[in-house]
Formats: sequence, C-alpha cells, structure tokens
Amino acid sequence: MRSLVRPVTLGGRVAPSRVMFGPHETNLARFREFSDRHVAYYARRAAGGAGVIVTEVASVHDSDWPYERAPRAADATGGWTEVANACRPYGPLVLAGLGHAGAQGSSAYGQQALWGPSGVADVVSREVPMELEQPEIDELVTGFSAAAELAAMAGLDGVEINAGQHSILRQFLSGLTNRRADGYGRDRARLLREVLAAARSGLDRDGRGDRVLGLRLCADELAPWGGITPEQAIATACTVAGSIGYLVVVRGSGMSVFATRPDLHVPPGFNRLLCATVRAGLGEAVPVVLQGSVVDPGFAQAALDDGVADLVEMTRSQIAEPDLVAHVRAGTLERIRPCTLSNQHSGVRDPRNPIVSDEAEPRAGHETVDPPVSSPASRPFPARESPTICPRAARIPPASRPFSARESPAIGARVARYPPPSRPVARAPVSEEAPTGESRTNAVRVRRSVLVVGGGPAGMEAARVLTLRGHRVRLAERSGRLGGALLLAAAVAGRERMGVLVPWWERELARLGVEVQTGVEVGVPELDGAQRDGTAVLLATGSRPAPRPYRSDGPVLDAAEFEAAVLAAGSTEAVLAGLPGGTVVVHDPIGDWTGVGIAEQVVATGRPTAIVTRDPVAGAQLGRTGDLVPANTRLQQACVSRELYSLLLDVRDGRAVLEHVWTGERREIDCAVAIDCGYRLPEDALWAARPHLDRAGDCIAPRTVYESVLEGRRAAARVERSAA
Amino acid sequence: MMLFSPLRLGPLTLRNRIVFAAHLTNSAEAGRPTAQHAAYYAARAVGGAGLIITEELSVHPADRPYEKLIGGFDPGAIAGYRRIADAVHAHEVPVLAQLNHNGGQASGMYSRLPVWAPSAVPDPMFREVPHAVTVEEIRELVAGYALVAGHCAAGGFDGVELQCSQASILRQFLSPLTNRRTDRYGGVLENRVRIVREVVAAVREVLGPERAVGVRLCGDEGIPGGTSLAEAVQTARLLERDGGVDYVNTSTGVATATLHLVEAPMPVPAGYALAVPSAIRAAVSLPVVGVGRFTDPAQAERALREGHCDLVGVVRGQIADPAFATHARAAAPRRIRTCTGCNQECVGRVALNARLGCVVNPRAGHEAVPLPAPARAGRRVLVVGGGPAGLQAAATAVERGHRVMLCERLPRTGGQVIDAASAPGRAEFAALVHDLLAECLRLGVDVRTGTAVDVSAVEREQPDVVVLATGARPALPVWAGGLDRVVDVRDVLCGRAEPSGSVLVYDELGFHQATSVAELLAARGCAVEIATPGMVVGQDLGLTLDMERFHRFAHGAGIVMSPDRTVLDAAGAAPGVRLTLLHHTVGAVSEAEYDWVVSAVPAVPEHELWTALRGRGPAVHRIGDCLAPRRAHAAVVEGHRVGVAL
Repeated sequence: MRSLVRPVTLGGRVAPSRVMFGPHETNLARFREFSDRHVAYYARRAAGGAGVIVTEVASVHDSDWPYERAPRAADATGGWTEVANACRPYGPLVLAGLGHAGAQGSSAYGQQALWGPSGVADVVSREVPMELEQPEIDELVTGFSAAAELAAMAGLDGVEINAGQHSILRQFLSGLTNRRADGYGRDRARLLREVLAAARSGLDRDGRGDRVLGLRLCADELAPWGGITPEQAIATACTVAGSIGYLVVVRGSGMSVFATRPDLHVPPGFNRLLCATVRAGLGEAVPVVLQGSVVDPGFAQAALDDGVADLVEMTRSQIAEPDLVAHVRAGTLERIRPCTLSNQHSGVRDPRNPIVSDEAEPRAGHETVDPPVSSPASRPFPARESPTICPRAARIPPASRPFSARESPAIGARVARYPPPSRPVARAPVSEEAPTGESRTNAVRVRRSVLVVGGGPAGMEAARVLTLRGHRVRLAERSGRLGGALLLAAAVAGRERMGVLVPWWERELARLGVEVQTGVEVGVPELDGAQRDGTAVLLATGSRPAPRPYRSDGPVLDAAEFEAAVLAAGSTEAVLAGLPGGTVVVHDPIGDWTGVGIAEQVVATGRPTAIVTRDPVAGAQLGRTGDLVPANTRLQQACVSRELYSLLLDVRDGRAVLEHVWTGERREIDCAVAIDCGYRLPEDALWAARPHLDRAGDCIAPRTVYESVLEGRRAAARVERSAA
Repeated sequence: MMLFSPLRLGPLTLRNRIVFAAHLTNSAEAGRPTAQHAAYYAARAVGGAGLIITEELSVHPADRPYEKLIGGFDPGAIAGYRRIADAVHAHEVPVLAQLNHNGGQASGMYSRLPVWAPSAVPDPMFREVPHAVTVEEIRELVAGYALVAGHCAAGGFDGVELQCSQASILRQFLSPLTNRRTDRYGGVLENRVRIVREVVAAVREVLGPERAVGVRLCGDEGIPGGTSLAEAVQTARLLERDGGVDYVNTSTGVATATLHLVEAPMPVPAGYALAVPSAIRAAVSLPVVGVGRFTDPAQAERALREGHCDLVGVVRGQIADPAFATHARAAAPRRIRTCTGCNQECVGRVALNARLGCVVNPRAGHEAVPLPAPARAGRRVLVVGGGPAGLQAAATAVERGHRVMLCERLPRTGGQVIDAASAPGRAEFAALVHDLLAECLRLGVDVRTGTAVDVSAVEREQPDVVVLATGARPALPVWAGGLDRVVDVRDVLCGRAEPSGSVLVYDELGFHQATSVAELLAARGCAVEIATPGMVVGQDLGLTLDMERFHRFAHGAGIVMSPDRTVLDAAGAAPGVRLTLLHHTVGAVSEAEYDWVVSAVPAVPEHELWTALRGRGPAVHRIGDCLAPRRAHAAVVEGHRVGVAL
C-alpha cells in the first residue's frame, strides 16, 4: 500500500512523504530575491514533514514581472541555496518553481509589453501582449534552460515547470490564446516540448541525471469551445511523459483564474476525477500529483489507494498546519489545525503585496517575526496591541515593529535566522518536546492562573497558547457553547467550512486541560476577585451591533442576530417564516463575504432578495479570495437584485429608500425585512469598568479571525511577561 | 509676475510662490526614504520651485495604511531626511517635511495592529473598525508628532507641515463625521481642534523659531455632514491666535471617500478648490496656499492676483515638468510639458501600490537612475510614425545628439491621441502630443507629415537606425463582418462615421474609449447603451478618478450601462443592426436592434513595415502600438527608452 507519509521516489531522488507543498505566491521576497522569510517559511513546512516543496515560481526571463515581489530566477540562486540548506535536515525534495506568466503578467513593474503567443488580450488586465517571434521564443527556451541550471547549481533537487495557471506555456497550449499560423500554432505543444528539453539539459549540465523535472499542467481550461480539454491535455502529457519526473494536474484558464485555487465555496478535492482521468490516460507512465483544495489526509490517502494519484499537493493545508504530515505519522489527525479554504490570507496576488498567511495560524509567513507559540517569547511583544513610540519604543524589539516586514535582509551571505533543528524530525512523530511542533513547554518561570473571559477565537486561542506554555487557564464563555462570532460567520451560506476551526479548538482545549465554562457570565466583581487572588485576566469579549446610520420603522435584523436566530431555529426558513412576507433587503456597506452569503442564504428560501452596496459590484472585497466573480455570478443566477452604487437611507412602510453614491438619484425598492451587514462595535463594558485589563480581538476593534488569533497569542505572551 | 515675487514664510524666505506640495510617491523602501526621494525633490528644486514639501512621514508605528509609507518615528530614517534636505538645499530651495498619522483611514494589513482613530467609525474605503484612542494614547500621538519633528530638524528640514487634510487623524478629529467623542477632544469645534493645537505647540517647542510650521486644512470634505468651510476658517483663526503656525495650506476632499476632489481629473478646471484658501485668507493674516489642478503658470498667477491665496501648490504640473517654474519665469510657458490631468500614472499607479509615474514625463519616478551616455553619437535616426511613441522617440533621440527625421503618413502628428482628445472633457489630453511636437521642432527634428514610408524609402534614406512607431489600426469584432453600421470608436471620434438614433457601444477595453464616445453621442442626442463583458462599465475610470463624473453625466444623459454582456451575433436590420447578446453570468440570450453599433475592442498592430524590414539592413526597433496596442503611457515609455538606447 502506498502511504501518504512514506517515502516515494521521483526521478532519481527520494521524497520522505507523498505530500507536496506546491508553488504559490507569498510576497515574502525582498525585491525579487528569496528572503530569509521564505527560508523560514519553507523550512517550517519541511520540519513538519512535507515530502516535496516547490518554491514560489521564479520568472525565467526579464520580460516577465507578473507581480512586484515575484521572484526572478537570475536573482534566486542565493535564496534557493538557503532554502535547500534549511530544509535538508528534514529530507524533503526542494524544487524551484519556474515560469513565465506571459499575457497574464503585468506591465506595471517592468514597463514593457507583455509576451503572448498571439495578440489576445488577457481577460483580467485587458492588456494586449506582443506576439512572440522566433527570437523571443528562443530567448524564452534559453531562459528555462538557464534557470534550471541555476537551480541545480544552487543545490535544489530539480525544478517544476509551470504550464498551469498564469503561464505562457499554457497560453501556447490553448486555442483561446494561441492563434498562430506557424509551427507553434499548428503544434501548440511544441513550445512545451522545447522548454522541457531545455530545462532537462539545464538540470543535467553537470552530468548528474538524477534531478527531478516536474510539470504543472492545466488539464482543463473549463472553456471547451476553445480551451484545453482533458483529452487534449492527456495527449500533451503523453508526448512529454518520458521527459518528466512527475505531473501536477491543475485546471483553469485566464478566464477562470478563480477556478485553480478556489475558496471554500468549491468542495475540497474537486480535481479528483480530472486527475484520475489524466493518470489513467497516461497509463501510469509518470507519477501524477492531485491538486485542488485537498485538506483532509484521509481523502488524500484514499486518492492514493484508489489510483487517482501518486502524490497529493496540500498547500493551503500546510500553510494552516505546518506539522500536517508529522501529525499523520503520529496518528494525531485530530490535532491538525484545519484549513478553512477561505483564501482570506493565502491568496496574495494583489497589488498591495499582502504577506501569505492563515487566519488560524498567523505565524505562517511571519516565521522570522512571530515567536513560536509554545515557547516563551525570546523577545517580548509590545506592551499593548498598540506599540508605543519613543522613549518607550526603545523597549519594542525590531522584530515586532510593523516595519520589520521589509527590514528582513535578502539572502546572500547572511545566514537565515531560523534556528537549525536539534535533530532530524522527518520520521519523528510530533511529541510534546518536538522542537518544531506546538507543544507544551515547562520553560516558563512563573506558572500562573489565568481567567480568559470570552470563548470566541481570541479567547480560545489565548487559552490554548497559555496552557501550552504551562499556565492554568479557566475560559469563561457567556453563551452555551464556544466559538463566539465564528459560529455565526460559519452559519452564513457557503461559509460553513469556516466552522471547522471551532471543534478543533474545543478538542485542543480539552486535550490540554483548559477549564472551559460555558453559560457563565463574568462580572466586574469576579474580575476584581480574580485579580486579588493573583489570577491574570484577559478580556476577549467580542463585539456588539453598532447603531445603524439610517432610519427604519420596519423589521431590521443585524447579520449576527439573524444568524443566531438561524442557529437557534435550525433553519433559515424558520426564521424568515416569523418575519413579514415580501422582499428581504440585505444592506452591505462592507462588501466582504457576509452580505453576499446572507443574500444567497435568503434567496435560497424563495424569498425575493436584494443586496444594497455602495460599490460597482457586490462583495467588492472578495478579490483576494478569488470569489469576486463567482459571487456576483451566483447572485445573478439566483436572481438576487444587486442594488449597486447605492446607499441605504431609510426603511419605512415596506420600502427602502436608496441613493446613488454619485448622482444622488433616489429610488425606492420593496423591503419587508432588512438584514444589516454593517459594522460592529467592541463589546467593551468590562474593559471600560477595568481599563487596566488586557484585551484581545473584537473587543478592541471588531475585525476578523486572523486578528483575534494573533492578538490572543500576543496577549498570552504578555500574561507571562507581566508575571516575570 | 506676482508668481515670482519673494515671500516670507515664518523664518523662511521663498524665492517664488510655487509650492511642490506633499503627495505620495511610493518611493520608500522598508519604511525609509530612498535616493529616489532625494533625486525626485531635487529635480523640482533645480526646476525652480519656491518651496518643496515632502510626502508624509508617519508619526506612529501603528499607522501603516499602505506598504511604501515612510515611518517617520524610526530614527533610522533621519539619514534619508538628510539626503533629501541636502539635495534640495543644494539648489537653495527650502524643504519641509509633512508629518501625519492616517488614523482610521488605514487597515491593519501591514501593521498587524488595530487602527487608531478618534472614534470607532470605520473608513469608507478601508472598512476596518478602528480603536477609539484613549486620552493617554492622544498624548502618545502628540508626542509622536514632536518626536518626528525633532527627527526632521536633525535631518536638516526647514520645518514641517502638519497634515490635517485628506488622510489624517487630525482631520478626523476636526470632522464631526469621524469625531463622536464626548470628552474634551470631541463635541464643539474648540474641543475638536484641541489635539491640533496641542500638536502645533509640541512641534513648535521642538523646532523653535528657526524652522517653519504649517498646517494643511481640509476646507470641504465633500461628504454631507463633514467639515464645513466656516469651521475650517474658524480652525485657522484659532491656530493663528495661538501663534505657533507660519502658514496655512489647504485642500478639499477626503482621500478615502472623495479623492476626485483631492486630485481632480481632466474635466475639472484649474482653481476648482480656491474657495477654501480664499475664505481662510480673508480671515487670517498668515500666508495661505491654494491648490487645485494648476497646470499653466497663467492660472496660478491669476489665483494670486485675484487674492485667493499667497502661494500656489502645483503638484501634477511639476511632476509632468520639473522645470515648470523655470519655464514660467523665463516667460516660455510653451516649453512646459503640460500635465494633462489624465491621472493615469500618478494617481492611478500610486493607488495600486506602484511607484509614481507620469504619462507626459517618462523620467518621473526614475530621477535617481541616471541616463546612460548615448551608445554611439550622432546617429541618423528615421522614426516612422508621429504618434506619442514616435514623437517621444524623436524628441529623446535629438536631445541626445542624434540626427532625427520623423515621417508621419497623415497630414498631422499626434496619432490616436488627437482623436481621443476630441471627446468631451478630454481636450487637454492633446497637450501630450502638442508639447512633444513643439519639443521636436525646437530641437531640430526633421518632421515630415503626409509622408508614408515603405521599404524603398528606408533604403533611400539609409538611416543608421529605424524606429517603427506605426501604431495600430482599428479592428472590428468577428461578428461585425461586413455590417456598415458597426464601426470603431475611432471612426466616430474622427468623424468617419456619424451614428445617430439608438447606439450600442460595445466595450472590451474598459477605459475612456467607450465612455468618451458614449458621452459624445449622447450629447448629440443619441440613445446610448454601453455593453461590456466586464463586471463594470468603464472599469478603469475608477483609477483615474473619472468614474464619479462619468456616472453623473451618464445619469443626466440617460446612458444605459449593461455589464456582463457579450455579443454572439449581428445581422443587418435595415437600416440598423440586430444583435444577439449573451448576459454571460446568467446565460440569458436576447436580441435587440440598434441603429448603430460602436465597437471598442483591441486594435491590430500595423506591423507590415516591421515584417519587411526585420533582419535586413539597418537596426530596426518597434515601439508603442505597433508592438502591442496599449495606452499612451506605454508609447511614451518605449519611445523614451529607444531614444535613450540609441
């Protein structure tokens, strides 16, 4: 039987497990070089058992600069070497992702014409590329060869060539973008073959023939009228199978970028059938890798058992849980921090250059900045969530200053700050002492008793971390169960997967022995009593609705109130049945996942539904998650009326009065019930009564899970320091 | 000219009234100023500006709304201040640093910290609920301003300007929209101004009388219930009474809500914001700076003469031409490369976290990178095509000592820019090519219009280098095949087609092409609908801040907007066209008849001469649309690049 966590041979080299950490944008680069943050990020996943790590795709030619911090192969050798060195003790294969984004690149940074097979504008940028002629094609092929040679010289185990999303090789393979009449158009796979041959020769230039040449290939552009179909992809794959060491099957074209790494609206493992089809079509000539929202090790193992694939890419799962493979090996699957697939922090192809991360594992991408949660901080955190300026700033270590994100030095002569492991852990189960895992520690100087008030993400994470660090914690939650606002967020249609975090926290708190009290409201006297007893107190009391900025005489529910009612009643229908019949107007001044999801939830019951937004589209902030286009499509298909460019002024007499944001034009729509997805305010009554107490999460300012977890961790570290 | 009369500004004496006012450049790296900052400001000092004010230095680590912000609180930034101050002082121009905290106009994306604001009122763009600062934190803020003012003095700046305008926590304190406090920092105006007065006092104490302190006040937020001009005037009075301030700068708009008022686009006339300095100047005796899309020295002179202000902020005008003031003083305004107000590469790029640039000035944003010497001197260069790419290539090449002939097939130069500028509200775009032509002629380019170039002409001229800037020709979609009432945008703009009645404008470009022609035709009385496969009609107008005005026009003119549509088929329906349209998000197919269809789809490169010349004879370069049809900036950048590389 092929085990997910046992070694596998690829090309001439052995990977310690069949789990891949695939190439993805991180924005960790310094300029276009791999940074020490990259090194720490990959090394952390290597330590957790990843079998194959493919680094962020590096551009093989200077015509390609697809996003500001996109690595450049010519600048990458020092960083590649550092990544390889940092990962080596754990044994994974480390490959360089190589590519050229072609017409899906950006001219904003290089200020040059984009390259493409034909003058077909990219759907997203609407920019027309220059049509490559033979000299440019030759340069491109040479670029792949030179980059592969650099990767080999840098000490990597091989390279992976990108012919999947954001790649000129896919654009040549596709009838959507390749309209050439020459040999590269009559035979659209010709360039791919030339590139693979060139990459092979680059890899083998020193005479060693055992390095791995991987290929990431789009097997379905989801555009059968002109795009790559699975049949075409199998034919292409068959022609190159002899020259590659593995094949990753992906999907999506420039018209469906969102389909390649979709968010939680698309069921996990969506490429299973496609991958099985390609593998069968190839006749097992080459190891095939299953990609596509694979989050469950059981599902991954079953894919191996069922002959769907030979390896499984679990990228976002390992962003969320670096020790995923180690937990599988140790038989502690229940401890794996689940990946929500929300893409709120893993999707970073955004001009603002956000850092890759995970909402429940905010240290991801910040390994050189945030201390590990389970050991006492070597450097203290800021005294409060707002760092102070001089003279007190002298006490703030550089690593926790906001600007440290870009102060990290580029790789070069510098040694990565990531601590070398004391021993290989590739085969070691995660133990309480594992240096890389999150485990209980006895290192604290003072064991404290801590009362955490509020059982949402901030409170749960603080309690978890405090216990890991050896403190005795009581977690008091006012309602009947843990989860806080996350329970309500996960009740929104299409957002159910957000809820996977709550049972994980519950399991971890139980495992660690946190004293969890639900249905317990903590008052000021109890806070004072705890303090008198020497118990540290942390407030994580969440948020409350804000006053609405418009008038209303009809029923208006806020989103949290609505979802709480849905959870209590057991269905959306039951809640709506108790409200006046007629159109439900969802007021969404924020444009994130809540308004869109609630509109979908309501319209699914058959109610006429409208969503009011000031933006030109619904869910304007969903761009990063990849759900912007799908969300607007779903809303339109469900016949939700999108009231765009609109402010809600008034709800009265069964009508809602809207005003155009720019023209000032007013109009009315039917409104039997309004659901308000507006802002919330801190639930800070306890803090107002005892402002010396520490806080975390929404009770400072209502935001998302990410900030709550981050602040829960920081607050836990401060408890320790205040005792020291 | 009054513009060139000296002025005392507190302890400083300015040689003229032209201010290079504070604006974001995205030139910072790792929170620190760079050599680019120094070179950028020095270029405007060389060019004759009377006063330079740097982009904002943030006074507190929790404030980081965008990636490339200068962290002023960081003592490590002082060396960068020194570099800027020295570079500007070398040309005997005073330079102030702007100090700021963006308050609630930010998110925690970069800082990973809660955002600070007067009250828990989320910003309309960032949409993150801020933390309402405590009184202790207000003290910390005030201390932050003082700390950074000290850094500025140590770095050699001549003083500081306190931003209380488009993106600042001080404006948020001043504005009743964002200040809902019930303590002594909220409520009546005197309370809302309190923090500003405390900051001024703290900064003045650090800087002493030797350096200048100014404030930049927002006189109109452009949002109902926001700061009124009367309150701004009262604020100025209070600050003057305290005696800590040497001048008052002004602005309108809020960066995250009404940015089109801060950096108004092309259709908005110069001086649009003068009501603010005018009212403040009438109430205080301090020098007052007026701003607002001044692109011509005459406009600035008029604003001074009419008494609206004592100084004039010229930002985009000096981005476009660093020597704006020198040329104005030499009474050679025709030598100025004029800002068109297109907002494409300054406002538009900065909004996308990229370094500031300029369509008419390809050196903007690259001042610190010296140009290499010409590869070979005195080459004979033939430029084919007189659009922006060809004109820029010729101007750069001739300036660098080459002998240049430019041939344009049409009787006039300017290429598509001339057509684009014929649309309503777009006339100033023509300055791009008019100024380039003037420069070519002044520097001695042999400009030949009405001159087509073929292979034999190249062989006859025997140039050392050929630069092809032959542009692109309109292409109609496949479905248009043979229908004479399906025409391209350019056919309409240049008058080859005159649609009337009902018109569908079909747009795959998402920029001014479709909206311009829609406005033109609606103004002529057509019933206009714009259909696009994109999610939003005129999507990129948002970046250039043209969207708001377009919507107001479209609303008044009854222009219908139909996003998410593609055309499946077209057939003649005498005299018009019957279209089969797909609403692709829902899969709905519909038919509709229009008298005319105007298409805005990618053009096709004119590359015949390239095909004939490549690989034989002289070196041949392709630039602009004949390489890949794009926007004017690409043409100018490539023209400049090839001109430099010769």
